[in-house]
Amino acid sequence: MTTAPAAAPAETPSGSGPWRLARAELRRRTSVKVSLAVVALFLLMAAGAPLLSSLGGHAPDAFDKTAVDPYLGGRPLGPLGGVSPRHWLGVEPVTGRDLFARVVHGAQVSLLIALTATAIVVAVGTAAGIAAGYFGGRTDAVLSRLMDLTMSFPSLIFMIAMLSVARDVNRIVLMTAVIGLFGWPGIARVVRGQTLSLKHREYVDAARLAGAGPWRVLTRAVLPGVTGPVIAYTTLLVPGMIATEAALSYLGVGVRPPTPSWGQMIAESVAFYDTDPMYFVIPSTCLFLTVLAFTLLGDALRDVLDPRSARA
Amino acid sequence: MNKRTGTTLAAVTAAAIALGSAGCSGDQQPAGGKNPAAVHEGEAIGGTPQKGGTLTVLSNQDFTHLDPARSWVMNDMDFGTRLLYRTLVTYKAAPGKQGSQLTPDLATDLGTPSADARTWTFHLKPGVKYEDGSPVTAQDVKYNVERSFSPDLPGGADYAARYLAGAEGYRGPAEGKHLDSVRTPDDRTIVFALRKPFAEFPYATVMPTFAPVPQAQDKGPQYDNRPFSSGPYKIESYARGKKLVLVRNEHWSPATDDVRKAYPDRLVVVMGLKANQIDDRLTASRGADASAVSWGALRPESGAKVLPDAEVRKRLIAESTNCTDMVQMHTGRAPFDDVRVRRAVQYALDRDAVLTASGGPAFNDLSTAYMPASLFGGKQPDTLGIPVTGDAEKAKQLLREAGKPDGLATRMTVSTGDKGRAEAIQQSLAEAGIKVTIETVDPSAFYATIGDTGNRTDLVYTGWCPDYPSGSTFLPFVFDGRFIKEKGNSGNHSLFRDDATMKRMDEIAAMTDTGEAARAWQQLDGEILAKAPAVPVLVRRWPLVLGSNIAGAYGHTSFGGQLDYATAGLKDPAKSRD
Amino acid sequence: MIPYLGRRLLAVASVLVAVAAVTFTIFYVLPSDPAAAACGKSCSVERLAAIRAHMGLDQPLWRQFADFVTGIFTGRTMGSGRYALHCAFPCLGYSYENSEAVWDLLMDRLPVSASLALGAAVLWLVLGLGAGVTAALRKDTLTDRALMTGAVAAASLPVYFTSMMLIYGLVRTAGLLAYPQYVPLTGDPVRWASNLLLPWLALAVLYAAMYARQSRSSMIETMAEPYIRTARAKGLPRRTVVVKHGLRAGMTPVLTLFGMDLGGLLAGAVITESIFGLPGIGRLFYGALSTGDQPVILGVTLLAAAFIVVANLAVDLLYAVVDPRVRY
Repeated sequence: MTTAPAAAPAETPSGSGPWRLARAELRRRTSVKVSLAVVALFLLMAAGAPLLSSLGGHAPDAFDKTAVDPYLGGRPLGPLGGVSPRHWLGVEPVTGRDLFARVVHGAQVSLLIALTATAIVVAVGTAAGIAAGYFGGRTDAVLSRLMDLTMSFPSLIFMIAMLSVARDVNRIVLMTAVIGLFGWPGIARVVRGQTLSLKHREYVDAARLAGAGPWRVLTRAVLPGVTGPVIAYTTLLVPGMIATEAALSYLGVGVRPPTPSWGQMIAESVAFYDTDPMYFVIPSTCLFLTVLAFTLLGDALRDVLDPRSARA
Repeated sequence: MNKRTGTTLAAVTAAAIALGSAGCSGDQQPAGGKNPAAVHEGEAIGGTPQKGGTLTVLSNQDFTHLDPARSWVMNDMDFGTRLLYRTLVTYKAAPGKQGSQLTPDLATDLGTPSADARTWTFHLKPGVKYEDGSPVTAQDVKYNVERSFSPDLPGGADYAARYLAGAEGYRGPAEGKHLDSVRTPDDRTIVFALRKPFAEFPYATVMPTFAPVPQAQDKGPQYDNRPFSSGPYKIESYARGKKLVLVRNEHWSPATDDVRKAYPDRLVVVMGLKANQIDDRLTASRGADASAVSWGALRPESGAKVLPDAEVRKRLIAESTNCTDMVQMHTGRAPFDDVRVRRAVQYALDRDAVLTASGGPAFNDLSTAYMPASLFGGKQPDTLGIPVTGDAEKAKQLLREAGKPDGLATRMTVSTGDKGRAEAIQQSLAEAGIKVTIETVDPSAFYATIGDTGNRTDLVYTGWCPDYPSGSTFLPFVFDGRFIKEKGNSGNHSLFRDDATMKRMDEIAAMTDTGEAARAWQQLDGEILAKAPAVPVLVRRWPLVLGSNIAGAYGHTSFGGQLDYATAGLKDPAKSRD
Repeated sequence: MIPYLGRRLLAVASVLVAVAAVTFTIFYVLPSDPAAAACGKSCSVERLAAIRAHMGLDQPLWRQFADFVTGIFTGRTMGSGRYALHCAFPCLGYSYENSEAVWDLLMDRLPVSASLALGAAVLWLVLGLGAGVTAALRKDTLTDRALMTGAVAAASLPVYFTSMMLIYGLVRTAGLLAYPQYVPLTGDPVRWASNLLLPWLALAVLYAAMYARQSRSSMIETMAEPYIRTARAKGLPRRTVVVKHGLRAGMTPVLTLFGMDLGGLLAGAVITESIFGLPGIGRLFYGALSTGDQPVILGVTLLAAAFIVVANLAVDLLYAVVDPRVRY
């Protein structure tokens, strides 16, 4: 793992001091402000999807036959993929479903999957990393082998396989679980390294000597020490998760119809990239902007919260 | 037979009535009501080919089976029987309706039946040879018929199993046992003893099951990768999923064959390409692509590029597949045991929306009856008169009458490739208060899933194609309750069991006058439609864009509209390249 | 060195067995029936049973797995009588779909995926490292900023989008390249390269961007090390310092990344090959999945896992060569 940090931040964020410093540093950067705005925009869009699409006047799965030309393979009528006051971003070819409604509902599904999977990965990875680093010995050996093993799995192939054989289950839950299953070792290694270096810091030793149990030491002394790198790493995980959801949907093992997700929209629109470019460009742009925003945000957070491992 | 929902059909299209009579939404119906995709219907395009050159076939997939004992997909049967092996009888190589006429191939005539049509005798032409120069014998035909019973070689047509006497429990020649009901008195005579009278037996002998395989060449399951040629071409190399190269079989004698023209010197099938990129390459028809054809049908979304372009339209064929897509309802349990609920679905369904999802009126024709138009003499009747866009109010009223004023929720199984069509159905039924959850199933598992009658969903979206132009290969397969099986059920996915219908089917099957039988099937079709076990939706076409150097090309009506490989060739062989 | 290598190879073997076991369980326990799929239309109960027996599906799961694993090393005979097939070492069984030996199928497809991966890797290494090192050496200049902005944007572009834009620009509009269609290197090297250039570019854009970011930060870090300062203080020319000392140490983390990416590329090929329609390992896997061809699925999974672990092992060994500080 390239991001394995050799040393902890100079100060542990026990008081508000270092965090305030970090916030001030972040606020100075334009890229952070812009990416935060983009992320917030998409999150709001996802959260308010039903409201937004009702403002547009279309449900995401309502057909509009008057908006497409059945004689031309269902190409949207009108310029720019059928952009009109009725359909703000145009319509999907063939079905005439409203693209605005689909893209906001798609944001909901894509971000839900990506963020939940990230949460799972971070929770599991942090727990495993701390346990391995702090307890060492056999626990470390077992967990480290498990990490090696998981990382040796051709994860995408396994995800496709698992999703394609499963039936009669909630696709969103399944996708989240499957994506999460293969993601945790990366963060676990980072946290393990961090924990190892914190383990024998004076203040941790002090807490231990003062009679604190392992749980207390872990939650009060070690966990805060790994928070900075974890936050940075987490932010950088999100783009990968979004891309994975898109990849799985592209291969046709994603969410079920008529549920939209960005990946599913891209997958369906690839075939129309030249006949109806708007249909292809809209979900691609959403995906691009979200990934870009999370990447920039993650870069900045890492520079600030985890300066030693400021790498790619 | 079942409409194959494979990845093949994911892309497909096809249908039966002329566009003008089909309902059309939208306001820009082409002038004259003539379907722009079907202008070449019934004719070959590109003139007569020149001998020589390489014909390239661009494909997004591999063949399912080329082994004649296992091939039962329209496309594969076309390719195999037109290029690699000959069968006792085959279809004429001609565009339009003529393509449904039989002509002798290996045999000297269409077979001689005994008075009760239980025994059929065929004589083989002299001088028919394999690729190594050895003669084709009647024993080789018998051997392949026997192979088709082997559990090691599954997948093939089951006409032999259904009709040959004493075939129960037979497990192929690998165990050293042979079928007594197929006799070969000499090297050029073969006699089939059937279990029951079967006047249409010559049609069954078109199936690749009745192609010759010499015992010495049989390599069991691996024969699929290298069938031994009795046709005009032999396999030079075959890398599964990548590339198949065919070269001339020098021992094939054109004098014995009045079906296959064998114009090109070589055929190269390039597999594993991206379907949309194939469409774009053939539309552009640049360089070597001018001498290429597509294996799969044109993708519906490519219609927007192909149809407006007059030059490309000249190279477009779109013969009907003659397969009817249907929504079949589980009549054996609630709520679809109530005819009013089933009729509600008939009324609620917006066939026009499904048509659009399927590529639009250029590549599909709406269905108003179960059997395709070819079995109605060219045009389906519209006995119910339901508007093409459906009638949600009438559907709601029927549901109220059935005691379901609040509608109902149900599930529908579709093959992955039919997802778009399923979404259109889902949307239109929702407007009448019928909430449908779509279960997409992989093509390979589709028939096993819907064949499990106990556990399957209420609705299935599937289709049926007549194996040959007779109502007897359609209605009994789809609506005869005696064919229902607990597991592995096929065809009758409505689980429709209606005594009047079954009685009538037996009466028609016993008719000797084919014209009378045809009319009786047509009438029965309407009677079943009124009982609403299934909703006929559409019949797809098989649109193909051909490279500009292709000649002698048409979609063959008996091979699901696939290009007839017996006659296709090149205008200028010098322009082709491997 | 030798004991280390032995330990690692043992670990590789055990990982592969674990991967096989998990794959086996997923596909053989879940409700898909390859026998029913092979049996096709109008399949009688007796015939289905016979097919199941032929495929060995009537055996208990552990038995099937044991046969599979021992079969890899010793080979095994499948079926009986006239149609028996002997599958020699390394036996991964036969495809249910087309009865070809899985090993042969894999070896037939591997050149496609390997051409794709290696060609793209050369491109992205040249582009990525070039951009990264340039940016590092001109830290905080306009060049640096432009390169890094480009890199972060390129890394965020969905690969589907890049691919279609490349097809549109280079094939549809300009007609400079042909649509991707695999031609073997041995057959026609020029067409091999020109037909693969599109997928190479599409992959290279994505990876080059990541490598530019990685190599820049790694280079900056290395150039700040005391020994570099010493070297420069000794009066060595800047070029010598950068190339002989800086690059060597600075590329160690890039090497790790490269090993992981190259190993994982075979698994990721399923996307690229699907976008461009190339008959490689990824396409083989995807096809097998849609037809429930379990032996092929298992074979591809094992091969992909083998690539990952072997690539990781190779990287660790290469460390010793590249970075003089590492010893085993």
